[in-house]
Amino acid sequence: MKTFEEKWTAWLDGQLSGKELTEFEASLPDLAAAEAEKRDALRLGAFLKEQLAAPALNNEEFFSHQLHERIARDTQDRPRSTSTWWTIPRLVWSGATALALFVITTVVLMSQHPAGEQSEYLTQILNSRVDPAANPNATIYIFESKNDNKVTVLWTEGLQTLPADYAAK
Amino acid sequence: MQLRPLLLAVLLVLAVSAVSANAAHVVWSGLVIAENVPQPAPIPPELTKLEQTLKDLFGYNQFEVIGQSDKTLKTGQEDWLANSKYFGLHVDARGENDAGYTLSLKLYKENEVMLETDANLSKSSPLVIKGPQVGSGQLLLVLVVKEDAQAHRRHAEPANPITAGWHRLRRMIHRVIP
Repeated sequence: MKTFEEKWTAWLDGQLSGKELTEFEASLPDLAAAEAEKRDALRLGAFLKEQLAAPALNNEEFFSHQLHERIARDTQDRPRSTSTWWTIPRLVWSGATALALFVITTVVLMSQHPAGEQSEYLTQILNSRVDPAANPNATIYIFESKNDNKVTVLWTEGLQTLPADYAAK
Repeated sequence: MQLRPLLLAVLLVLAVSAVSANAAHVVWSGLVIAENVPQPAPIPPELTKLEQTLKDLFGYNQFEVIGQSDKTLKTGQEDWLANSKYFGLHVDARGENDAGYTLSLKLYKENEVMLETDANLSKSSPLVIKGPQVGSGQLLLVLVVKEDAQAHRRHAEPANPITAGWHRLRRMIHRVIP
């Protein structure tokens, strides 16, 4: 069962016919006003169809060419993804190079002095002092032994001589 | 990545080397009476390496330790005393440097300071101080940097080449940038 609105729309579109058309037109309170409204609706539809149709392009090829150029330009201008110098292979090579340099340096340093050799440093006497009141004639000499022990000697002369008792533990 | 375990191993070796390079040292300080006797006693073990040097320098045939101290230096700022009945050797360590330790020494005879000296004691160069004549003998002060027991065990094995190289590199840098 169609509603009135459905029948009205179909009537405006000229879709009703036969008995259905007769019954619908008979049900209208003012057929003349309805006919006028139908004409207005048809006119409005025709007008809209005319006005809303897509405008025809006269220079399609030129427009297409412009569009392609614009796309190409945009593609060129777009910044590329930023790439870093420290790629994984370069990192690996840098690490290997640093390690090789370390090994070479160590080997060079080791070859300068055989392992196990003693340090070249000798003990240094920075200053020394003897109590002048008790040992007025004391003198001090500093020298290094001439053998392999590299002993530094602080040699005092003229210190007060002490009795043998002082040798007690 | 296969390189990662290798790099980790190298870093570990370097770290262990750096730690072992800073291992504690022991400074042996001794008050020694040197004298000539008909039947000399064997030289104390601490002086074995120096025996011939001491004999050549002082001309005595016996060296007896009358007071001593073994001090383990961890910070290089420690101080200690080696005592005999009448003498005292006070040692005040004032820091470690590339060569060894800076020490301030005072020899006391009872409460009286007989001798004062400041020295850079090298780890490889003992210090011998000729003190006063005592009876027929001579008082000697001897300071030797020994390595601690762990270091001794370590040195029983071949020297760590990385540690040795590191020390040489440090010395070279110190020579360039004092």
